[in-house]
Amino acid sequence: MNKLIHNKMAILSIGLLLICSFLPFFLPDYFLHIAILVLLYAYLATAWNILGGFAGQHSLGHSLFLGIGAYTSTYLFTGLGITPWVGMWIGAGLAGLAGWFVGYLSFRYGLKGPYFALVTIAIAEAMVSLTNNISLVGGAQGLDVRWEGNNPLVMQFENKIGYYFIILVMIAIAIALVYWISHHRFGYQLIAVRENEEAAEALGTDMLRVKIVATVISAILTALGGTFFAQYITYINPRNVFGEGPSIQILLFAIVGGLGTVWGPAIGALILVPISEFSRSWLSGTFAGAHLLLYGSVLVLVMLFMPKGFVGLFEKIKQKKFRKQSTPSEKEI
Amino acid sequence: MSFLTVDNISKQFSGLTAVADLSFEVEKGEIVGLIGPNGAGKTTVFNMLSGFLSPTKGEIFYKKKRITGLKPHQICENGITRTFQIVQPFPELSVVENTMIGAFAHNHKTEDAREKAMATLKRVQLEKKANKPAKELTLLELKRLEIGKALATEPELLLLDEVAAGLKDTEIEQILNLVRQLNQDGMTLLIVEHLMKVIMNLSRRIIVIDFGKKIAEGTPVEIANDPAVLDAYLGKEN
Repeated sequence: MNKLIHNKMAILSIGLLLICSFLPFFLPDYFLHIAILVLLYAYLATAWNILGGFAGQHSLGHSLFLGIGAYTSTYLFTGLGITPWVGMWIGAGLAGLAGWFVGYLSFRYGLKGPYFALVTIAIAEAMVSLTNNISLVGGAQGLDVRWEGNNPLVMQFENKIGYYFIILVMIAIAIALVYWISHHRFGYQLIAVRENEEAAEALGTDMLRVKIVATVISAILTALGGTFFAQYITYINPRNVFGEGPSIQILLFAIVGGLGTVWGPAIGALILVPISEFSRSWLSGTFAGAHLLLYGSVLVLVMLFMPKGFVGLFEKIKQKKFRKQSTPSEKEI
Repeated sequence: MSFLTVDNISKQFSGLTAVADLSFEVEKGEIVGLIGPNGAGKTTVFNMLSGFLSPTKGEIFYKKKRITGLKPHQICENGITRTFQIVQPFPELSVVENTMIGAFAHNHKTEDAREKAMATLKRVQLEKKANKPAKELTLLELKRLEIGKALATEPELLLLDEVAAGLKDTEIEQILNLVRQLNQDGMTLLIVEHLMKVIMNLSRRIIVIDFGKKIAEGTPVEIANDPAVLDAYLGKEN
């Protein structure tokens, strides 16, 4: 039966991937830009979700890893001429080390909940100050990604479709990875640690190892997204990659979509990014901040009526249907 | 050396002595009861045996191996698993997934863990609830799950912390039958219990502690007639 579910999932995912592969050829430029942002944030939220959703350790400073990825590949490319295709892995390695450091530092001493969140904010903010003061990486002015024209070898495209396919492949791999994790020992142990640390430990789960590994995987994926972000936006500065903005956005998508679910973060980004982008352009002629007001209201409503996010809502509906179908047979017994 | 040897362990919490120079042994196949009045240090002893606390001094040996100060997951891998006085399910997971977390201690493949979990649920008579979320279980079912999760780690020594707490008399009888069955199947058990009648009719050997010290050890009848035990539970005569 399990094989059947796996197969069904595989067919659905491949179908979705095919549709997504044809989509960019029919989208006008502006919509293509929004589609890329949707995929990018879906990817980053999926990466955050491994640590925040599955393991239940809410990092509020994931921009730390985003920034390490963005700054490493950009500095290596613009400063030393190393292609971002290589630089992204060096950034990922550094972010993995940073993830290990943050994870070990926090979890070794039993920090959890708000205290872990504070540590992650503090380290990310420290990186803002640090990069602000290092002239080698442009200080507060940041770095421009050197433009070499249409050159796939350095991850640069004149047509947005190139970027679209890179991020599409990245999110596909990220979701496949999360799906794999959620069906294996490591994934079960992550959830066990989230649901009840002491019980998980008593049942043989190496809590410290599980949490640190989750942090490292999440950090590596986020950093790879950071490189893509830099290549796509072509400009980075301490605030827009290390700042609190990206940290908060990433986790909003995961929370609104559904924490600790495979598709939740992607669904969250799919719903929220267009609302945010379209409301910005539609309401731009009205008063300042109108789009933020609308965006904020949507968030409040979602949290009020769907505390478990969109995936939680779907599951509730599915369960209700299932109960209705199964009630008569239960009465027979 | 015995199956489990506790050698002179003490635990101090910033000056307060919770357990003092406690020694006892458990032989393979036994059910040993650990009792004492409120605050006697029973749970502290359990926490030291299961690795949640390490003793300030003294040693613990299990199957001739020193296990003092190991982490909880290492103790579990060695074959000692505990349950908690207040049941500790993983509420969002189903009953079988809860049990799989225990099964993953010795099974790395998901399918193996699921098989092991289903077999374990049969032993604790929860197989019909396998796909229910743990948060929908009754207290009795949660107690069964608590034991089931622990059993799935394939322990040789099971530490039960007040397994009957909060249950009605008829329910207590059911849990006791389950514990007896486990013992007949070869499980060694160390049981902390508050309810005298529970321990009296389960164990053939009882250790009584008070203020962190062992004050008596013996059969239920010996314990029931021991003046030091009566003093501890009922207060001293002037």
